[in-house]
Amino acid sequence: MSSSRFTPKGFPSVPLQNGIGRYICQLKRVTLRFCKSSGSSRGVRDFIETELISFAQDHPGTVVYLKPRRHKSPSFVAEYLNGEREVISCHNFSSHEMIKWLNLYATRSGIPLKRYLKMWHTECPSIQGVWSPFTNMDPALNITQFPSKKLSNPVWEEKSATEELLEKVKQQKISSDDENDDDNTHSNRAAQV
Amino acid sequence: MSQFGRVKQWNTFARCWHLFDATWQNPLQCSPLIEKYLKGLHKPIYHPFVDCGDHVVIMNSKQIAFPGEEWRRRVYFHHTGYSGGASWTPAWELHEKDPTMIFRKAVYHYMKGNLFRRVVMERLHIYPDSNVPEEIMENITNQIQPLRPIPKTLDSYSNEEIEKYPKIIDYPQDYLLSK
Repeated sequence: MSSSRFTPKGFPSVPLQNGIGRYICQLKRVTLRFCKSSGSSRGVRDFIETELISFAQDHPGTVVYLKPRRHKSPSFVAEYLNGEREVISCHNFSSHEMIKWLNLYATRSGIPLKRYLKMWHTECPSIQGVWSPFTNMDPALNITQFPSKKLSNPVWEEKSATEELLEKVKQQKISSDDENDDDNTHSNRAAQV
Repeated sequence: MSQFGRVKQWNTFARCWHLFDATWQNPLQCSPLIEKYLKGLHKPIYHPFVDCGDHVVIMNSKQIAFPGEEWRRRVYFHHTGYSGGASWTPAWELHEKDPTMIFRKAVYHYMKGNLFRRVVMERLHIYPDSNVPEEIMENITNQIQPLRPIPKTLDSYSNEEIEKYPKIIDYPQDYLLSK
């Protein structure tokens, strides 16, 4: 709730485009601390006996250290390539739980957990560029002197009856001139014949 | 944010200045058009909480037009707050007192009443004639096209145009058109 104001926030990120073309496991070191005798470390001991070799073989980029400590609660430290370090208590963990938790920390990028503002992220938000008031603007406006006479008229203007009449008169004049021209050419041809 | 990204941000939110010639325009019909530019509704980045409105400069507000009986019938109400302080001013009278007031009120009343209304109204600059100050005129990058055509008055026709105008009849020499 209100703690969301103080928890770190951000967008999904990945170190050095990991996973595009090649994948580097970001977990560089795991240190397993356990007790050889106490019951709370039993699952860890089982894990070491049965699964640890295959885990180390599956993650060749990860160093695994074993740190037996007398009468201490078991835990493991996961260290990442970016310097992050996390301590996980494995008190009373079973062997199966150990596999699951180690697998989780081996697949993490090491970037601390944060509240995601968005579930996606892109380095290139727009190829055509961010909109500005000057995109798609008519370049003629750059040299226009305001107030412009052309822009003082509406976008669409209905023709008035007077204008239509004047246009008709103009057309009539043109057509009558054409007819006169035609008559002249005909008479000329007749004279030639 | 990178330095270039910051500049892109400034460019996106740059305020533009629009000019509007109110000659022969009905302010009640123009107010939706003006409001669109004042609030930035015409921009793809518009959001009600984002301050992305533009400035609008209205000139010739003295030359506005009202249809029909509107100048006489339209009445602007004001109350001083004291008893008997109510007053009703007809539009023609208000227009005589302040030629910018009718346009300002038309835009103000068209907009929805919220906390941003007065802030948005600050971006509206109205001038009664075409004498707009130079420091405002130099900002203008666009002109809003009016809604109505400006009619051509009889006295604006030149002698040449009158002579060229097609006639049906020629009036006789002794015919009196006017005294």
